[in-house]
Amino acid sequence: MELLFSAATVALAPGALLAVFLGSLLGVIFGAIPGLTFTVAMALVVPVSFSLETAPAIGMLLGTYIGGMTGGSVSAILLGIPGTPSAAATVMDGYALTKRGKASLALGTAVAASAFGGLVSLIVMIVSVDIVAKLALHFGPAETFALLLFGLSTICGLSQRSLLKGLVAGVLGLMIMTIGVDEMEGVRRLTFGTVTLQQGINLLVAMIALFAVPHVIDAFVKYYRSDTPPDGVSDVRVELPTLRDLGKTFWLMLRCSLLGTGIGAIPGTGGPIAAFLAYAHARKVSREPEKFGRGSMEGVVAPESANNAVTGGTMIPLLSLGIPGDPGTAILLSGLLIHGLTPGPMLFIQHPGEIYQIYLAIIVSYLCVVAIQLVGIRFFVQLLRVPAHLLAVGIIVMCGYGSFSIRNSVFDVYTVAILGVLAYGLIKARIPLTPIILGIVLGPSLEREFRTALILSGGDASVFWTSAPTIIFMGLAVVVIGTQVVRSVHATFTPKKSGISRDASVKSEK
Amino acid sequence: MKLTKRTLMAGTAALALTLGHGAPAQAEFPERPVEMTILFGSTAQTIGQLLSELMSEHLPERVVPVQRTGGGGSVGYQYVDGTAPDGYNIVWNSNSISTTYHSGALDFDHTAFTPIAKISTEVTAIAVNANSGWESLSEMAEAIKAEGRPLRIGASGRGSFTHLATEAVLEAIGLADDAIHVPYDAGRAPVELLAGRLDAALQWPGQFVSHHEAGDLRILCVTSDERISMLPDVPTCHESGAEGVSMVMWRGLAAPAGTPEDRILILEEAARLATESERFHEAARTIGFEVTFADHAEFGEQIASDDAMLEELMTALGLKE
Repeated sequence: MELLFSAATVALAPGALLAVFLGSLLGVIFGAIPGLTFTVAMALVVPVSFSLETAPAIGMLLGTYIGGMTGGSVSAILLGIPGTPSAAATVMDGYALTKRGKASLALGTAVAASAFGGLVSLIVMIVSVDIVAKLALHFGPAETFALLLFGLSTICGLSQRSLLKGLVAGVLGLMIMTIGVDEMEGVRRLTFGTVTLQQGINLLVAMIALFAVPHVIDAFVKYYRSDTPPDGVSDVRVELPTLRDLGKTFWLMLRCSLLGTGIGAIPGTGGPIAAFLAYAHARKVSREPEKFGRGSMEGVVAPESANNAVTGGTMIPLLSLGIPGDPGTAILLSGLLIHGLTPGPMLFIQHPGEIYQIYLAIIVSYLCVVAIQLVGIRFFVQLLRVPAHLLAVGIIVMCGYGSFSIRNSVFDVYTVAILGVLAYGLIKARIPLTPIILGIVLGPSLEREFRTALILSGGDASVFWTSAPTIIFMGLAVVVIGTQVVRSVHATFTPKKSGISRDASVKSEK
Repeated sequence: MKLTKRTLMAGTAALALTLGHGAPAQAEFPERPVEMTILFGSTAQTIGQLLSELMSEHLPERVVPVQRTGGGGSVGYQYVDGTAPDGYNIVWNSNSISTTYHSGALDFDHTAFTPIAKISTEVTAIAVNANSGWESLSEMAEAIKAEGRPLRIGASGRGSFTHLATEAVLEAIGLADDAIHVPYDAGRAPVELLAGRLDAALQWPGQFVSHHEAGDLRILCVTSDERISMLPDVPTCHESGAEGVSMVMWRGLAAPAGTPEDRILILEEAARLATESERFHEAARTIGFEVTFADHAEFGEQIASDDAMLEELMTALGLKE
């Protein structure tokens, strides 16, 4: 307790609070602008944090991480372009809610769910860091592969309209990620002998291309086709969710938060998979599953609480084992190291005070994020007043800038242009884009875990069904795929009703 | 406020530098920011960012770190190789110039660059689970041979520095044909060791230290020919049974070949002053690297000799293309 108080005096000092606030603000801004991501924001913050004291430095980095994770939902909901890969699942229902004029309500709910998820994961982390870290140890390559496969199987659910088209999209995503140098054997794949292609397709670049570019093309096409120039929505009401609305989804939020924390604790997974699994879970248990994809609030609550719970979850292996779970925590790790905090079991023994400071910084950061967003929503929604074709110009500039800034590579800007035009073609062919993102996100980990598991077992494939976690996740994957196949076969032999668009990037009016 | 102070400091430093050298022509470089290409993330990025910040204090213009990652460093090398040799583009390089070239990822080798200065050295370490009871490499080798099963040893991907160091150690303890190399990405190896899925792992010591102090893992040895300041009680691999093994990774600065020597000297001096600062030494202790400054001439010799050594090793392993 004494430690907590002394940590509080350091972590809640004005300078430290200001650092967390600035970090959160920067994170929200970078997360909210399509094209810019919080990994870029964190890379910018790291050099600044060198010259700060430990508490403000770590607070600022944590704030940027948390702010960015939450801010990603803003553009996902308002524009249908996820600000971070973790927000890709939020697009499906968040953007649908915006189209129904409920943007501010969706944004408010997303913030509340995010903060809830983040704080639940923090509590889990404080209470059970040792237990969870030990449990996570049981997740070897084979177990992680089974979990990822289960995650990938949700592709079937995301493409209800046509299983085949969903699979086409998923495989496209998996294929895109094979470009570049294979990390394990150092083999250069599909590089055509060039050095440029050795860098491969960056996940963030692919995300910008798939979601933002078709949106922009679509806005221009509509503008030049229609005689009357379309105006933005003139009547933008600001309506925030009441505590009663939020209370209704309490149990869903809690379940998705725990799910997110658990997935975050397993190295090699991360925010996007947690968000998609939570979304699939929410639809499965929902009383109104038919509303999903057309603007269900539960479809926003689930992924947002889960992806923010991942922030607390990834802190468990980061602090107790020294393993960064995603690019954000990798940057956080270098920030900790430069201030002499080497993560691992000794961190809790040698630096208990700093651990409490980290916990407090996370709480402060969520308070800041909620405050920033609640104020911000009033301004964010004004964006909807801007006519789509004018907004598109701004988006394309940010995407060009954002894709370049990820790796300072012009190649990435070309990639956005090429993949983006391809994505527009896919939308026209009614192939959903969300499974592509899932394939891109999961592809590299799926391959790595599969191969590592087989190397460890000496080529014996039985590792995939001999431990409890592998049996459970493999079984779930088989059930999900099985039911979808049966359903789609059944649907082919019965008269078809008009399909409902499951993909956010496909406009309902088309 | 901070900016003006820094400019002032940089100005003063540059003045001192000029007076020291007594060559007014040198004061004109750099007239604009110098771009330092960083090839990797994580610690390479952190050290590079700090170095550029400290170098900026001793130059009239800033040194700006720019991330150009990918292809095991080849993307960044190719970028810097394509820039004008005027000193405004430098690369935060490492042994990776040799490993990328010899693996066929690059079509030019270290001679495409002029060395500026060696900055630091990083040493890899081998760890085992404390439950194994192995205290040295020779004990490990004996136990594995007695059990008649292959040693599962984790390192980064094939052709990476940690993989090459692993192979060098295995060769020296006679396990080269009785080992399975398990490639892991960033930071996963310690977990796999803790969980007992691996017998041993070769990684940067920072990943093991906390577990080593907690008594869960045991660091058997470090791959350098001298013990390192971070782990004074841990023997070298040579002491531990792998005779003659000496694998260290240096990091330093280089510019495209043909960069004027006076500019190289200005950058070398700024780098020297940066490495002498208390902040840099403190970072070395916390991040876990050795500050081993060497001037451009000495650095050049080391690059060439390491290149020959790595070429030989990679040829022996069948990694040379």
